[in-house]
Amino acid sequence: MATTPEPSTILNIEGLHVSYPVYETAPVRALRGIDLQVREGENIGLVGESGSGKTTLARAIMQLISRPGRVDSGRIEFAGRDLSKLSEEELRAIRGDDIAMVIPNPRTELNPLVTVGKQIANVARYHLSLPRKEADAMAMAMLDAVQIPDPKRRFKAYPHELSGGMAQRVVMAIALICSPRFIISDDATSGLDVTVQTQVLELLQDLVQQQGASMLFITRDIGITAHYCHQVAIIYAGEIVEIADTASFFDNPQHPYSVMLLSAFSHNPKLRGMWSKPEELIENAEAGGGCLFAGRCVRASDTCLKEHPKMRSIRPGHGVRCHHPVER
Amino acid sequence: MSVVLSVQNLIKHFPIAGSRSVVQAVNNVSFSVSRGETLALVGESGSGKTTVGRCILGLIDPTGGEITFQGNRIDKRNNVRSRHLRGKIQLVFQEPAESLDPRIRIGVTIGEPLRSLGSAREDRDKQVREMARRVGLEEEALYQYPAELSAGQQQRVGIARAIITDPELIVLDEPTSALDPTARSEVIDLLITLQKELDTAYLFISHDLSTVRYLSHRVAVMYLGMIVEQGSSQDIFSRPRHPYSIGLLSSVLLPNPRLERHSEVSLQGEIPSPIDLPNGCFLASRCPFVEAQCSERMPDADDIGSGHLVHCFKHRDVIDDEKGTLDYYERFQAEAEKLLSSGQQ
Repeated sequence: MATTPEPSTILNIEGLHVSYPVYETAPVRALRGIDLQVREGENIGLVGESGSGKTTLARAIMQLISRPGRVDSGRIEFAGRDLSKLSEEELRAIRGDDIAMVIPNPRTELNPLVTVGKQIANVARYHLSLPRKEADAMAMAMLDAVQIPDPKRRFKAYPHELSGGMAQRVVMAIALICSPRFIISDDATSGLDVTVQTQVLELLQDLVQQQGASMLFITRDIGITAHYCHQVAIIYAGEIVEIADTASFFDNPQHPYSVMLLSAFSHNPKLRGMWSKPEELIENAEAGGGCLFAGRCVRASDTCLKEHPKMRSIRPGHGVRCHHPVER
Repeated sequence: MSVVLSVQNLIKHFPIAGSRSVVQAVNNVSFSVSRGETLALVGESGSGKTTVGRCILGLIDPTGGEITFQGNRIDKRNNVRSRHLRGKIQLVFQEPAESLDPRIRIGVTIGEPLRSLGSAREDRDKQVREMARRVGLEEEALYQYPAELSAGQQQRVGIARAIITDPELIVLDEPTSALDPTARSEVIDLLITLQKELDTAYLFISHDLSTVRYLSHRVAVMYLGMIVEQGSSQDIFSRPRHPYSIGLLSSVLLPNPRLERHSEVSLQGEIPSPIDLPNGCFLASRCPFVEAQCSERMPDADDIGSGHLVHCFKHRDVIDDEKGTLDYYERFQAEAEKLLSSGQQ
């Protein structure tokens, strides 16, 4: 947790809509009005299924939505600056320097023809305008910090010579070398084995905390957020449906979708059956303008099919977008 | 229970071109699977799980050891492709989308295994419909292409294709790792239901321990081509004895912040390369309990009751039995049930 008494908001997203046009049909609305605030020193976990808009959100924050995808409306403020108003040059200075991203599949994303040491050092040379020697020394220190054994030798290694866990550490070194204030981790540990995953997560958490940075931790695995995040946000079909402090969320999940996600981990088919509809009963509820989850929801009523629920606060720090939140 | 598959001292080494060293992918693995039983092979990537699966299908020839399927030896000449074994052992793959032909309709894909068994066309159609019903696919899905289905449905197709020949053994190679949690639990439920109906033996290869806990009767933990511990699912999850099993189990993150991971045993580093393995215990370089004899020779299997085998010199000191169960899944289950069973309309 941050040590400052009143941590200020570092990232502020308001009403963000992103869509991808599709030939001859309506565009795919990947994000439908995302509101999200991240305070300084805070680590927020964003959980959703594949296709729920997690990666689009990460790319939108980085201002990297590529054509034909477009930001329809909404604003993204980073440390008080509206990112959409900045020039490409100003953005380049922010990306990697203030906002960094830890990507999945490190072995495909790293440049296979450049040694990993050089790839790390290049970031420092560009963003911090350091001479080569100093950048190299800094990269070496970074390799050490992410606990890569024998960093002197690995400095000269090519990505294919590293194991998955080590390549992931290299990507972390690249993300962290400029001491960014905000880190986005996009499903960064999903390709790793469980024993390596916990090591990498611990390390990432330690380094982020040391630097006093904030993190948006995007994942499909709700289990990770329980142990490594201060806040949990659940995203469904491009909308945040529930957001809460970790303890509050896991003690008292409110949205039927959150409960369904949690029940999927349960070994009790009866419990799961209670919270999820069989596949053949699932219908598309989008057309009616109601709740996007209504078609899959076991608690759906007529109101849900007609009226789109607004995000409302159940108690301080716990918001839910549902007409019939689960009461206990 | 009758044993369907028995593997004795299986060894598989892959030579490395231009070198005398070999990749020791599987080192002396023994286990058996009976009718209606699920044996899970768990371990990190590179531990040899998939190689064991491929040897069982006879797709690669073992370097040593014996694989017996219903009394018949399986090797390169006598394998799933041989006439008398065709359709008896089936495989379900990891990536459902990639294991289906994108240009063949679902119905044809499901019926394909029957073609090589020489069944008549009408017969085949009837069976395809029956299988689709069993795995919970709509009839119209039979006329669709794989890309039109969700990942969960695609995996149902993979399962339908496997069970259509009424196999004795199904090798499930990480069938759920590519699926979202909700689809995953549905596929697991389906596999359990089918096993009860068909009395098939499953060899379930996975690194997803929460799935393994739920699905399997027995568990074998693999590390660098060796089964370091095997026993009933209950024993392995509540009283693991091998430092590696404990480390593996404590790495799983359950969605409950209060279930702190037991940190007594933490594994350092990563799985070493399987080339030129040391003489001693393979875990010696990562194990917090390591002592002199560990790097000298490989510990033999120690039977600690009811078929619970452990390869470790110090397994008695690793876990304090007084502390009772370590089964975090059970605690998680209990808490989840309390939490989730309330608040229904």
